[in-house]
Amino acid sequence: MSTDQLADLSRVLYSPVTLLLYISAAIVCLYSLTTRVGLATGRSGKVAGANLQPVGLALAWTAVGAHVAHEVVRGLAQSRLPLGNMFEFTSLMALVLAAGGMVYLTIVRKRPELVGFVMLGAAVVVASAMLTYAAPGPLMPILDTWWRSFHVSVIVASAGVFTIGFLFNGLHLLRDTAERGLAEAIGSTPLPAGGAGEASDGPLATMTAEEALAGRVAPDEDHDGTGLPVAAERGAMRAAISPLRLAIGTFLGASTVSWVFVATPTATLGDGLTRALTINLTLVALALIARWFVPFLPQASILDGLAYRTIALAFFGWTFGTIAGAMWAEQSWGRFWGWDPKETAAFLTWIAYAAYLHARATRGTRGRGAGWIGLGAFAVLMFTYYAVNLVFVGLHSYAGLS
Amino acid sequence: MSRTDSAAPPEANPKVRPPRRGGDGPLGFVRDSVVMAWRWLVRMRTALYLLGLLGLETLLATVVPQEPNVGATVDAWRTGEEGPGTLVAGLIDLVGGFDVYGSPAFLALLLLLFLSLTACLIPRIRAWVRLVRHSRPPLTRNAGRQAVVARLTTDRDVAEVHQAAADLLQGKRWRVRTEDAATTNSPPAQVAAEKGLWSREGGSLLFHLSFYVLLAAIVFGQLLSFEGQRAVVEGERFADTPVSYWTYRPGRWWNETSHSGWILDLDQFHVDWVRDPLAPGAGQPTLFRSDVEVTRADGTTETTVIEGNRPLVIDGMKIHQLDWGYAPLVQVEVDGQLVYEDFVTATLTDAGHFRAAIKAPAADPDIGMDVFFYPYAPDNEAGEPVPTGAPFADAPLLLFQLFRGDLQLGRTAQTINELDTSQLDTTGGAWIREGAEVDMGEGVVVRFVELRRWVGFQVSARPQIPYLLLASGLLLAGLWPALYAYRRRLWVVAERHPGDGHTLVTVAGRAFQRPQTFDDEHAGFVERLADRLDASPLDADESSPATSVAAPAGDQGPGATP
Repeated sequence: MSTDQLADLSRVLYSPVTLLLYISAAIVCLYSLTTRVGLATGRSGKVAGANLQPVGLALAWTAVGAHVAHEVVRGLAQSRLPLGNMFEFTSLMALVLAAGGMVYLTIVRKRPELVGFVMLGAAVVVASAMLTYAAPGPLMPILDTWWRSFHVSVIVASAGVFTIGFLFNGLHLLRDTAERGLAEAIGSTPLPAGGAGEASDGPLATMTAEEALAGRVAPDEDHDGTGLPVAAERGAMRAAISPLRLAIGTFLGASTVSWVFVATPTATLGDGLTRALTINLTLVALALIARWFVPFLPQASILDGLAYRTIALAFFGWTFGTIAGAMWAEQSWGRFWGWDPKETAAFLTWIAYAAYLHARATRGTRGRGAGWIGLGAFAVLMFTYYAVNLVFVGLHSYAGLS
Repeated sequence: MSRTDSAAPPEANPKVRPPRRGGDGPLGFVRDSVVMAWRWLVRMRTALYLLGLLGLETLLATVVPQEPNVGATVDAWRTGEEGPGTLVAGLIDLVGGFDVYGSPAFLALLLLLFLSLTACLIPRIRAWVRLVRHSRPPLTRNAGRQAVVARLTTDRDVAEVHQAAADLLQGKRWRVRTEDAATTNSPPAQVAAEKGLWSREGGSLLFHLSFYVLLAAIVFGQLLSFEGQRAVVEGERFADTPVSYWTYRPGRWWNETSHSGWILDLDQFHVDWVRDPLAPGAGQPTLFRSDVEVTRADGTTETTVIEGNRPLVIDGMKIHQLDWGYAPLVQVEVDGQLVYEDFVTATLTDAGHFRAAIKAPAADPDIGMDVFFYPYAPDNEAGEPVPTGAPFADAPLLLFQLFRGDLQLGRTAQTINELDTSQLDTTGGAWIREGAEVDMGEGVVVRFVELRRWVGFQVSARPQIPYLLLASGLLLAGLWPALYAYRRRLWVVAERHPGDGHTLVTVAGRAFQRPQTFDDEHAGFVERLADRLDASPLDADESSPATSVAAPAGDQGPGATP
């Protein structure tokens, strides 16, 4: 096969093949998550869709496989490791996010039901890489060294793991809000014990007796048993998170990074606005989807633990990668640290995640406070990644765009 | 100050701190202030605020151009040519935002951070040392009430069970304490063990202490390092003496006699690009290499190459190839007198051509030339050169504008490639090909003799590098256990069942961090102990990890002191 054919194949493998596989894996896995605490019992007595989880996991592994195949083909097409420009970094980040998330959730922590969210995140990162697509090509000679593969892969892998941590962090905050809302709902509403359907003025007032009875199923392992019918509990949890506030908050939060595309000097204003809006609205949609899934999530404290574990690993990787970068800089530029915008921003990211880890060890900021700092730290990471490559001029302006 | 018993009920403990001993007066006030400041610094929340401030400063340094890096951009921001305008630039200047890491605000913050770190670390180190030296695994009174419990039955007797458990645990490097029941009131006979006692906190301490090493190495480096730059034209040589550098930046304690006087000859510089305009990555450079010959201070010579990622080390100094450009050899004659002959080190501009300035004070009046060099400017059908931005020197063209007047050398700030035209008048411009000459009138002849290339070398001596590496190593070595080590306790209590003669073994455990990981570890230990003792689980439900009823969910952060 010629180089051009390989390049075309790598592109097809990336989008649509990998992208669609991630999306379908996300859909199947998320749907199977809803069947775990099944409301909809079929006539045969089996919970509908209970067998979907293995299908979803198989799809997820296939997606990861297709992604690896893309990386290999792209590497062959340009006869070098695909670690040379922003598209390739984002692609690798998505791969680490998907593969790392899969390994962590299915093998290490045995929580395969959460794979859907990782797949959703991977789909978004894969799609976002298309914003900075660059055809396969040769490397700048200064980048042509094993230091690059080493430094870049460690940093990019850490960014991927940070992204997993961000997903868990976001879910943790949503679930925590929902649990608080549920606790309030229980406090303010008489429990429908015995006389289900009694007139009450809480969020459960609209439920009929049939619904309340049909909703009683065996509690899930994470289900802490509030005594409420499952449907009412789900309603109360979702009601605790105002969709409008969530949407506006997500939009504003995403804007802290997406403005970069408007400010990119190489893009036109209309183009940049379209990109920024697309990113913001996609994230808003994701937040709203996550809100709908809140009742199916494990307890907030478990999500918090997952977020901490992943961020701790990524923090170690980031520290290591930054030190490796300094060593390469000493070798290549003749100084180990020069406060180049990228170095400064990498340091900023390091501080932000260090603040998260410290906040988690501090009484008063543990839990929600740390969660918010974690979200902010991820925004800083994305800022470091996009803004410094696209907007601020420095030695690391390697987006590969023209 | 009276000591209060911590076991006494809270009412017995005073709610306010006992009155100070220092008394009143100015000294007492100073002492109080210091104590208050220290208490404020010790708080974790203060450290978080300081980290946040450091983050803000760093954000400023990311967004705002920094003077030591891009001085020209900062000047453009100050004059309002670029950036958000002079007003904002003035505000940024006010907080030292154009040189964040050299600003007094940053130094003050750094001082506060290190003070806070010290204030946090001193009590933690003391507590840690006490813990490591004096602690022994505590006994349990009721193993069945611990977080994770598994029960086994075996035929072996109590002592044998305890011996086996202690052996297994010691093999896994646990701190083990075997205790026999002495009195009826004491805890039952048991093996108590603890692990991860000092590694997590110790790792965290090592991580934080490595910042002192890092800081010391950086300060040491500021004082003792040296960095100089110099452009060398192909075929020319360069000797390491303080005066031969174009920029010379020694540390405060750098000794000028440390230059050993090695010599570097640049034989040739190779540079190439992807020349096919249709190929992927067209126009990208593919090669930068300097062929050099070095003569060391001891007289030995060596022919070698310097590349982007391959600096050359001579006599403890590192030579990097940082920059390159074209160096046309230009001669200027006035009335047959040679007033200028030199290689012009033209530097690359964003537009793709190269720029330089020629300053010939030997002429009267002075001659200045603003030089534009186009490496590839092929002729069109009319025989006129068409300048392009292509970098390869297949059709080199020298364009220049001639100035006469006063160059003001040494009186105004001007770089080597910049003319101060305030006292100069232009007398026209022209273009020349390589090997040609042009008569500019008034007896001025400009000749473009030949084309070579120049390479910008950076020479540096950084004695701090090994110490920086040491600090980095300590940092990483401390960070891993600080994040991943976890403190946990295990108890093995064996009791002879009076009825059937079996021994009942309770394996109880409790983790301070990472409870899920500990569940697996506990289960693994129970399995190995059962193997060793030919024991069988008492009931399957209770020996599984799912019995971790009260395990604290989630982990504590790196700085948590249990």
